[in-house]
Amino acid sequence: MSSDKPAFKYPLSWRILDHAENVAALWPRRWSPLTGYLLLLPALLLVFVLVIGLVYIFDYSLHELDLATYRLKDAFSLVNYHVALKSATYRTVVLRSLGASFIVTAITTVLAFPYAYVMVRARSSGTRKFLLISLFLPFFIGQVVRAYGWLIILGKEGLLNTLLASLGLPPIKLIYNYPAVVLGLVQYMLPFAVLLIAPAITAIGEEIELASESLGANWVKTFRHVVIPLAKPGLVGSAVVVFTLTLTDFAMPEILGGGTTDFIANSIYDGFFQLSNPGLGSALSMILVTLGSVFVTVLFSLAGTGTLVSRENVR
Amino acid sequence: MQAVKDVSFTLPKGAVLTILGPSGCGKTTLLRMIAGFDAPTSGEIFIQGQAVSSVPPHRRSIGMVFQKLALFPHMTAAENIAYPLKMRRFDPASIPDLVDRYLNIVQLAGMGDRRIHELSGGQQQRVAIARALSFSPDLLLLDEPLSALDKKLREEMQLEFRRIQQELAVTTINVTHDQREALVMSDEIIVMSDGVIQQADDPVRLYRQPSNRFVASFIGLTSLLRGTLVRIQGPDVTVRVGAGELHGRTAADGLSAGRPVESAIRAEQVRILGPDDPTGHFDNALQAVVVQQIFEGDRMVYQVRCPELGDALIFAFDHDPADRKRYRKNDTIQIGWNSRDLLVYEDSESRHL
Repeated sequence: MSSDKPAFKYPLSWRILDHAENVAALWPRRWSPLTGYLLLLPALLLVFVLVIGLVYIFDYSLHELDLATYRLKDAFSLVNYHVALKSATYRTVVLRSLGASFIVTAITTVLAFPYAYVMVRARSSGTRKFLLISLFLPFFIGQVVRAYGWLIILGKEGLLNTLLASLGLPPIKLIYNYPAVVLGLVQYMLPFAVLLIAPAITAIGEEIELASESLGANWVKTFRHVVIPLAKPGLVGSAVVVFTLTLTDFAMPEILGGGTTDFIANSIYDGFFQLSNPGLGSALSMILVTLGSVFVTVLFSLAGTGTLVSRENVR
Repeated sequence: MQAVKDVSFTLPKGAVLTILGPSGCGKTTLLRMIAGFDAPTSGEIFIQGQAVSSVPPHRRSIGMVFQKLALFPHMTAAENIAYPLKMRRFDPASIPDLVDRYLNIVQLAGMGDRRIHELSGGQQQRVAIARALSFSPDLLLLDEPLSALDKKLREEMQLEFRRIQQELAVTTINVTHDQREALVMSDEIIVMSDGVIQQADDPVRLYRQPSNRFVASFIGLTSLLRGTLVRIQGPDVTVRVGAGELHGRTAADGLSAGRPVESAIRAEQVRILGPDDPTGHFDNALQAVVVQQIFEGDRMVYQVRCPELGDALIFAFDHDPADRKRYRKNDTIQIGWNSRDLLVYEDSESRHL
């Protein structure tokens, strides 16, 4: 046999990893128990910076704006919270945001579950790929552009109204109202929900569904008693993400609401940049953080803490 | 692609039928069609005389134990067993008693409140069996549920299943690639290969009288010797393998002198003798050289080479080897067997040439 060209070639990735290991070997061995924590540190730092920001915002929220100087007074006071909670406008904004969060979460979950189910279970790989690509496509577009897309379709001189006009019908006002904002938000949230529900459905063995059928359950009962309970971790995760993202959303109410349908985030923005009142903006921010935290806590205590990381071995 | 073709069999009430075959032989497809998960492209399945092809799985009266058990992890053992009763609208008042009864039958009394992940592998098997039986189905299907267990537990569960099956007299179709499981658990065995039934028989006849080379080599430890038919007189045949002539018997029709044949001999029928021992009543006796010895505890398995048979390799068992002389690699010994134990088949590969 010719010895000039050996049959086995050492793969490039192995060689790169060997060099990486040589570098890693410089790290003293007796520090190795700390390695894991060290790798965790950057992420922890990022979260910690957020906490610092929150502490500052909390501090701002406790100082009233001095209208003479347009600076926050030194004295502590609850005036900002008083204003935020007493004002009918802000109360409407908070209720509107909360209401939208519930509605969007409900509609999105109902739409996302069958989508995720078919995407996971479809026999033809073509169908699966089509559904997956359709899901990821909106991510490349972004929220603002998608909102403008809705304007093009639903606007006063948009596609739908042009169509109505050509049929001789009067135009309908389809944007700058609550349903338009909800529609835009549902469309925006759908991919998140599907991506969070799909792994939970993948984890349910197909045999489990067949077992349920052979034991006498039709597909409706199989869904109710087996698939949905077993997909609970995914459903809870999806609900948390959709609810909090909706509650804190800014772009959809701004663009599709056109000032008629402000959410909390829009009011916070106005507080900081239109009214130049960081105290009031901060108080609204704290209210928003509190609402989100309460919802997540309630949901997790209802659904059980084990839902995020399922330790039960699902067979 | 055809997974199953030309398969037809009838199963008497209360019997256990095992479909035995290597992976990919079509046995699971067959089971899925009986359960109603897949539809046959042609043909019909009857349960108690009723054609069921158009009946969806949840309307068939079939209990199935799945390969991975497919127990519901969010329910307790008792809830799993009650599930088919609820879905099939049994009288709610009767359900607790039925659940207790089936927990007793599978010897899990008092464990009904346990969650599935709190049970051992064997206990989970028992829950799966109880769940498949609690609604008294017309037919029970087993899709290799024991294959994931370790050997000792598997053999225990085989006997346990046989006890439960006989207690309830439930008609059962079992699918497996484990020949021991098939022999232990069944009243009738169907050996399948390439989607075709190779042989359907009771376990003893299947083992002792395999009807073709595939069945002979699939069940038991069998040595196959390729040769030519020399003489045939009724079932008695003489074949030439290498330079040697061997006596055997055949059930095949249409064999004639000069045809290529394959002869099968089971390892337990081959007797090992010392180089100078008398060969006694064996009508086939040969010199052989030990190639390897495999100690399995209750027996020693020898693989030997027969120069006389063109260096053909033959397996032989030596049971209870503690009492006997041990032979080492390259030792020359004698082997012998009776002509009735050498089964001669038409050479299936040269037939197509």
